[in-house]
Amino acid sequence: MAPGPGLPASLALCRPRAPAAPDDRARHCAVPGTVLLLLAYLAYLALGTGVFWVLESPAARDSSARFQREKWALLQNFTCLDGPALDSLIRGIVQAYQSGDIVLGNTTSMGRWELVGSFFFSVSTVTTIGYGNLSPHTMAARLFCIFFALVGIPLNLVVLNRLGHLMQQGVHHCARSLGGAWQDPAKARWLAGSGALLSGLLLFLLLPPLLFCHMEGWSYVESFYFAFITLSTVGFGDYVIGMDPSRRYPLWYKNTVSLWILFGMAWLALIIKLILSLLETPGRSYSCYHHSSKENFKPQSWRQSPDGEAEPRLPQSGCCPEGPVRIMQHPEPSTQVSCCGKGN
Amino acid sequence: MGALRPWARFPLLVVGHLLALGIGAAVFQALEGPPALRLQAKLRTELATFQAEYGACLPPGALEELLGTALAAQVRGVSSWGDGSEAGNWDLPSALLFTASILTTTGYGCMAPLSAGGKAFCVLYAALGLPASLALLAALRRCLLPLLSRPGAWVAAYWRPAPARAALLRAAGLGLLVAGAFVLLPALVLWGVQGDCSLLEAIYFCFSSLSTIGLGDLLPGHGRGLHPVLYHLGQLALLGGGTLPWAVVWE
Repeated sequence: MAPGPGLPASLALCRPRAPAAPDDRARHCAVPGTVLLLLAYLAYLALGTGVFWVLESPAARDSSARFQREKWALLQNFTCLDGPALDSLIRGIVQAYQSGDIVLGNTTSMGRWELVGSFFFSVSTVTTIGYGNLSPHTMAARLFCIFFALVGIPLNLVVLNRLGHLMQQGVHHCARSLGGAWQDPAKARWLAGSGALLSGLLLFLLLPPLLFCHMEGWSYVESFYFAFITLSTVGFGDYVIGMDPSRRYPLWYKNTVSLWILFGMAWLALIIKLILSLLETPGRSYSCYHHSSKENFKPQSWRQSPDGEAEPRLPQSGCCPEGPVRIMQHPEPSTQVSCCGKGN
Repeated sequence: MGALRPWARFPLLVVGHLLALGIGAAVFQALEGPPALRLQAKLRTELATFQAEYGACLPPGALEELLGTALAAQVRGVSSWGDGSEAGNWDLPSALLFTASILTTTGYGCMAPLSAGGKAFCVLYAALGLPASLALLAALRRCLLPLLSRPGAWVAAYWRPAPARAALLRAAGLGLLVAGAFVLLPALVLWGVQGDCSLLEAIYFCFSSLSTIGLGDLLPGHGRGLHPVLYHLGQLALLGGGTLPWAVVWE
């Protein structure tokens, strides 16, 4: 679709053209691309896991062993510890902890630079959650972390974008089938949208805390707090799953949590994008539906927002089956309509 | 006429953003200061009783237990020794840093809410504040996009590369700009100001802040008075400006 010279022309472009043909083609093309992308994503995470594991675990083991030796030497020399000595011991231990040494003997596999720990570190880096329960200390690992993140974060954004788009497609299909049954497409779309919102809320924010309650022994409030902080990628690190050495975690638990993070982040990004588009001042809203009618949950109008582009942490607008939304510069720069352009 | 409106909206958005940050910081300070002090006091009394009981001899199990408690408190951001020089963990600059770390989703973790009320407020604050900061970013990008594309247009006029090449060159140029201005420069400043970290560590910290990963293992020193506030403000500008080129590159 070539960009029109002025507003009315672009308005005409936005009318539904031939929804059937791009639909099918898009649907066929989207799925293998998505699978490939997911595979690439997994491979990239595996790469990060391996490298961090190799770089960090020898150093961690050495420093941990060294600390244990020092500690027991101290205790042997001073069988009666006085106040200042104890203080300095605690200070030393806390500093060692802050610099990442394993202080007390018991940690779970999540707290060590082994396979699971390294994998979770890669995930937390690439999704920019960044818990901090494990952090690299060797210079090589830090350098690698920087470059790993430089490539991994955009990759993660692309994957989230795809996932979000697939979820939107699913909702849209439901809306269309409902609309067909009820002869009221707008209402069906609204219903499907709110249903998707509620089910996403349940699935990603309200139900997983129950799992964490059961597995980690946190209260529901703490688990919900952890879920929210994780999905919003803030990731303080005061609560991290799988860190309690006195508990046994089944194998499927951590895999499920990784999947939850992925899908939950995609869903949350969609929601934030919706809220964002609601926050933007309406300007002049046209009742212009997108050419492939794959719009988000707002059925009433396509808001003419000067910025239809998504934020770096958000998936791209789901209007295009493939390719990002292009912001087209019209002669009046204040009015930019975001339309899909396959050939810009 | 229409072109004025984004420019008028933008300062309002910035002011509102700063106000929200300040209010959030004050609320967190009010919510979190007392529990943190209480935890600190509890830790100190435990330490005192420990010293009184085991002043003579030290069974290893008791020591491990005490250390575990100290570390658990440390994870929550409460330091277990306090000669009172650090005036509580939740003084204003630290609280500001905390709210900024929420809104930019960095989340260092050196400070985290302890009380249930603090956690609930944190969730609410993030739920409302994240879309707002994204709106701010969008406004920023809208304003700065023409500025940023001008050098690109100049280059394109000079060399006339193919369109795909042009996009790539522009992305590369912006990437270099980001790396230079937002990572290297602050890292150099940090390295100069703080003597005890190497340049690589400073770069690592700037990068982990800019990418909003925020591991939190390296942080600029606390006891320097105004510095954390200045650095925080600089970091906010960093993050706001730094994600911009990403968005443009993404396009």
